Amino acid sequence: MNNKLGVYICHCGGNISDYIDVEKVRQSVENEEGVFLAKTTMFACGDSNQKEMVEDIKNNHLDGVVVASCSPKLHLLTFRAVTERGELNKYNYVHANIREQASWAHSDDKAGATEKAIHIVKAAIAKVRFAESLVPIKISSIKSVAVIGGGVAGMKAAIELSDLGCQVYLIEREYFVGGRVSQWDSLFTTNETGKELVTRLYNDLVKQKNITVYTGAEVISNSGNIGDFKLKIKITPRYIKAKCNQGELQNAIDVCPVEVPDDFNFNITGRKAIYHNFPSEYPQSPVIDIKNCTRCGACEKICENVDFTQKEEIMDINVGSVLMATGFDPYTPADGEFGYNSFDNVITLPQFKRIIDLSNEKLTFKGREIKNIAYIYCVGSRQVEGENKYCSRYCCTSAIHAAIIAKKKFLNIYNFHFTRGIRTYGKQEVLYDESSRMGDIYLQSYENDPPVVTGRNDKAVVRINDILTGKREMEVEADLVVLVTGMVPRKDNSVGSLFKLPKGRDRFFNEIHMKLRPVETVIDGITISGACQGPKNIMETANSALSAAAKSYSYVSKGELELEPIIARIDKDLCTWCNACAQACPFNAIEMEEGKTKNVASINNSACKGCGMCLPVCPTDAINLIAYSNNEIESMIDALAG
Amino acid sequence: MIMQEQIKDASYDVLVIGGGIAGGEAALNLANNGFKVLIVEKDLSIGGKMILLSKVFPTLDCSACITTPKVSEISRHPAITIFTGSEVKKIVKIAENSFEADVLRYPRYVIAEECTGCQLCEQACPVIVKDEYQFNLVGRKAAFIPFTIASPKVAAIDIENCTLCGACEKVCPPKCIDFTQEKEEYRIKVKSVIIATGFKLFDPLLMPRYGFGLYKNIITSMQMERQLAPTRPFNTILRPGDGKVPCKVAYVLCTGSRDATIGNPVCSQICCMYSIKQAQLLMGALPMADVTIYYLNIRSFGKGFEEFYEQAKGMGVNFIKGKIGKISELENGNLKLRYEDINENKVKESEHDIVVLSVGVIANLDTATFFSEQQLKLDSFNFINQTDPLASPARTSINGVFVAGTASGPMDIPDSILSAGSASSEAMCYLIQKK
Amino acid sequence: MVDTGKKNARILVFSTEKISDPAIDMAGLLKLHYPPTIYAISIPCSSGVKPKWILHAFEKGFAGVFIAADGSDCPYGESCTEKTGKIVSTTHELMKQKNIEPARLRMAAICSVCSESFVKQMKSFNENLLKMQGA
Ligand SMILES: Cc1cc2nc3c(=O)[nH]c(=O)nc-3n(C[C@H](O)[C@H](O)[C@H](O)COP(=O)(O)OP(=O)(O)OC[C@H]3O[C@@H](n4cnc5c(N)ncnc54)[C@H](O)[C@@H]3O)c2cc1C
Ligand SMILES: Cc1cc2nc3c(=O)[nH]c(=O)nc-3n(C[C@H](O)[C@H](O)[C@H](O)COP(=O)(O)OP(=O)(O)OC[C@H]3O[C@@H](n4cnc5c(N)ncnc54)[C@H](O)[C@@H]3O)c2cc1C
Ligand code: SF4
Ligand code: SF4
Ligand code: SF4
Ligand code: SF4
Repeated sequence: MNNKLGVYICHCGGNISDYIDVEKVRQSVENEEGVFLAKTTMFACGDSNQKEMVEDIKNNHLDGVVVASCSPKLHLLTFRAVTERGELNKYNYVHANIREQASWAHSDDKAGATEKAIHIVKAAIAKVRFAESLVPIKISSIKSVAVIGGGVAGMKAAIELSDLGCQVYLIEREYFVGGRVSQWDSLFTTNETGKELVTRLYNDLVKQKNITVYTGAEVISNSGNIGDFKLKIKITPRYIKAKCNQGELQNAIDVCPVEVPDDFNFNITGRKAIYHNFPSEYPQSPVIDIKNCTRCGACEKICENVDFTQKEEIMDINVGSVLMATGFDPYTPADGEFGYNSFDNVITLPQFKRIIDLSNEKLTFKGREIKNIAYIYCVGSRQVEGENKYCSRYCCTSAIHAAIIAKKKFLNIYNFHFTRGIRTYGKQEVLYDESSRMGDIYLQSYENDPPVVTGRNDKAVVRINDILTGKREMEVEADLVVLVTGMVPRKDNSVGSLFKLPKGRDRFFNEIHMKLRPVETVIDGITISGACQGPKNIMETANSALSAAAKSYSYVSKGELELEPIIARIDKDLCTWCNACAQACPFNAIEMEEGKTKNVASINNSACKGCGMCLPVCPTDAINLIAYSNNEIESMIDALAG
Repeated sequence: MIMQEQIKDASYDVLVIGGGIAGGEAALNLANNGFKVLIVEKDLSIGGKMILLSKVFPTLDCSACITTPKVSEISRHPAITIFTGSEVKKIVKIAENSFEADVLRYPRYVIAEECTGCQLCEQACPVIVKDEYQFNLVGRKAAFIPFTIASPKVAAIDIENCTLCGACEKVCPPKCIDFTQEKEEYRIKVKSVIIATGFKLFDPLLMPRYGFGLYKNIITSMQMERQLAPTRPFNTILRPGDGKVPCKVAYVLCTGSRDATIGNPVCSQICCMYSIKQAQLLMGALPMADVTIYYLNIRSFGKGFEEFYEQAKGMGVNFIKGKIGKISELENGNLKLRYEDINENKVKESEHDIVVLSVGVIANLDTATFFSEQQLKLDSFNFINQTDPLASPARTSINGVFVAGTASGPMDIPDSILSAGSASSEAMCYLIQKK
Repeated sequence: MVDTGKKNARILVFSTEKISDPAIDMAGLLKLHYPPTIYAISIPCSSGVKPKWILHAFEKGFAGVFIAADGSDCPYGESCTEKTGKIVSTTHELMKQKNIEPARLRMAAICSVCSESFVKQMKSFNENLLKMQGA
């Protein structure tokens, strides 16, 4: 029990003393048990008072300090620091809020406010008597980070982390890095191609000594916590030897008899069972798609680099932090949605991007030349009926940009945009201007009256009641209908569940706070970046990746982390190990510990967040939260009731 | 004239120019990773525009409540030094990892370390001038604390308006008013620079057909923002003409944006959303009021934004897709809007008792003055040019100089914060790699 | 000035450090008045309130206890609302056994900017408790 307390009551200029009789408060508390000195001060936070407090604490060897002033959100840390400068452990400081919760809240009732302030200060005194000196929980943190996903976000973050001196494991589920961006040709707003951008990043990546890239790899389990996550990674083999002869391999690809739809090209073309997405892909080695391979052995005969003996591997890695960069999937329209899969010239924007890339001189699809193109916007986004209420943010700009590129690359292209109001925000607006100047036609549908796609001969007809021309019904016969599909979370997002990452209303991974902690998750040590957190273009992806990298770096850079020691504590005598607390704990911080006579609960100090959810469930009241123990709370209640 | 020997030297790892949310966030990131930072802020308080906002979209959390803890963390941080009321005159890059900046600190005429923020000087001062922090809606004294949540929360003397009557000097308890203070010049050595000088608001006087400045009941969105803030000038929403509580409010979106004829073809990216936010707050504050938003396209593109827009529609905010032609004033101070209703393809008129112009984001041209020997490239809209916008959005045309927040183009707060994270991250690499 | 002759009910509020206590602070900042016999003890999360603390408060003479819950804003996870709800129902049972009207314990989610709703809740709770006292 602390018995030599210093109590300071602040006037706060007049903010407090205009409504509260500060001197009366002082007199009412100076004789409370344990109080050694009680003073009033004009500004407790002012430099002069801080100095005086430091002297008081030192000279009198105070063992507890209370300041009654403004809200603890403003100055709790200030006075903890003062306490520490007075050579007293900072957890022996308790804050009493008599401004926001007394003088201001009851500025209409001075007597009532004064009475309340007296009780609040007494409660703080009661609490500080039980305060203990605590040391922050120090845990060591491994200076390495696992980056999950090797798209732009993951590659950029990995390079950054490595530059900062961390060991990085880049874990990519596909056999090639680059993510979605490697699928796009010309990019807004620079017109660099996706391949060029990925090549640039990959060249930076391989220069780094401390990045290990795993492709065909997935995290299959996680245990451990911030500072020391223990991950198991499953690596599926390429069935190709590491050093290989590209020429021979090309021959092997040629002879493979199996052909399957190529999902890199969104199934508009096919590929072999031994394949690469495009010749300059990274890493520059093909892969055998073992699910579709018939083991006919044709490739093996031609090329000695093929190696069917390679085995799946399980790797264990330990990292201090995990950075998620698993990206998005393009929305897949339902059958019949705007004629998708009903008419064979209705495709999605990602497919259209691939067709532009794959066509030379003439824009053709399924052998037919394309002239009139109708773009239907917001497919899978801003749904009136469906559950995707959000705007996918990239797609207006991307569709307009693709339309401009098509018009520039090929002759006789006519673009008709069926929009829901164009959202080329910021500087992207100039693309919208450019396309309007190039003669593209813009139409806009009503929220509840989307365009309708029907067939006529071998064309699709798109019909709309157009807002921009005053509800006129307009019709376009299109050679190609491009559904401007939005972004949705990855279909297989199981890695999120593995780490218990919460999802937002839009089902993308959720940050703690959009403005205060935009790349952190509620799971300490795990950051999120890029399109897995929500739709983003590449610039926004890079910004979020760099922010997440800096955050992850801060968890591991010092090799050590300090956590607040406000955690749960088990009274082993009372505990009967009923498991109720372990089930209530949202952070898996409670485990069973085998004792000599009985099993008891035990708190993992580095996992416990001090929420207290375990307290009320314990049938024997064996758990207390440090600084909020029964003693503390009940004696505060006594003081407030008195 | 300042003598050479009066120039003070100091050195830091990084110079952050501008102490808005972007600059502050960048500084904190750097300082938390062990780098020494100097923030040079032109204004008397850090916090930028954000500290003056009401609640922020799309979560509607109180802007001050988010900003003040950040601001106090910044001002308390042992690795961060802040010069408020200061300007960067010139920066020279000497070599990689070596910059020299000339910084001028203007006097506050108050010894900041000793001022307790008691406001007695403010009460004593007889001079009243327009309060720029309340966007001229009300007045302030010549001895004043910029605003209640300013950081540092210390007084300053507005020497241009001060009559040197000495009233404040007499009442100040710690005797910290000091009229003898003078400009101080610093020569600062740093290894890297982050520019976070933010944006300017479009000046609606440049669009005379809207009648801003002429008609009293036309205000800017920033003036409305102040009326809705917890530290608001009045206790309710008033129209400035006659102090009447408005009941028919109009918002004119894209004021000063998306219009090549006034030299700004780009979309400001935030004004749709902040207008929708204000409309929701107005419906809460004045339950009887009608709020109409005149727009061209609603750009609610970010996380939770579209839902926020739908929420406003659900609350009964009117959205009219229409181009405003001209605004004129009626005898009772109400305003007549002539507009083209795009949905109905007709020219129409409507009457409102207050009109809010949702002014756009304009580049802050101060950035052009920082470097004289190296060229800091600007883009065609005078924002700082991002030389590698896709892979390294914070890079500028000078290696070692990075840009954070709206200094590179329009952005909302979440994007400004990510951009600041990106700039600080790149700066850290630059410092560690010494490249 | 309120009529100081009128007695108010003594209410204990369990607020949460990150979510509801800031709202109570803001009620003060905005000078939204409520009875001065309302006291807050702030804890990390509303799902950490022990029923015995609540009973202790009644024993010591509090007329009502209010849990200003984190609701869906809880930084510790979605289960908060449900868990806090459970604490309330368990305590209601215990209160019945001790012949304390369950209406003396209330809970509501108070978000970090819900100052007005907090004050409304407090005023109506106070009124109700006074009525119960009178009856
Ligand atoms: C049609 C279209 C055109 C576009 N055009 C442009 C443009 O021109 N300009 C522009 O700025 N933006 C454009 N974008 C947006 C751009 O594609 C995204 O901003 C970018 O891809 C996001 O990068 P990312 O790294 O977050 O995600 P992704 O690119 O999706 O990369 C994620 C990576 O993570 C991997 N992964 C997923 N799950 C796991 C797992 N469990 N374990 C391991 N690895 C995993 C994936 O295989 C992938 O490699 C376009 C988007 C679309 C749909
Ligand atoms: C009316 C209105 C409402 C808004 N509402 C929202 C909202 O609800 N949600 C949201 O997300 N966003 C909102 N915004 C946008 C938000 O204000 C910006 O995104 C954000 O303030 C940008 O921060 P910044 O630090 O880049 O710039 P700024 O806030 O402009 O900060 C720049 C700082 O640099 C200083 N400075 C300028 N020049 C110099 C110089 N030469 N030397 C030294 N210092 C200098 C300035 O004094 C300032 O402190 C709103 C904007 C407005 C106008
Ligand atoms: S960006 Fe455009 S196309 Fe995409 S969802 Fe938003 S409004 Fe629709
Ligand atoms: S206090 Fe919270 S985090 Fe800690 S053990 Fe209890 S329930 Fe788990
Ligand atoms: S009177 Fe003095 S101490 Fe008080 S605010 Fe003014 S300058 Fe500061
Ligand atoms: S954000 Fe909205 S109001 Fe602002 S310029 Fe863009 S379209 Fe206009």
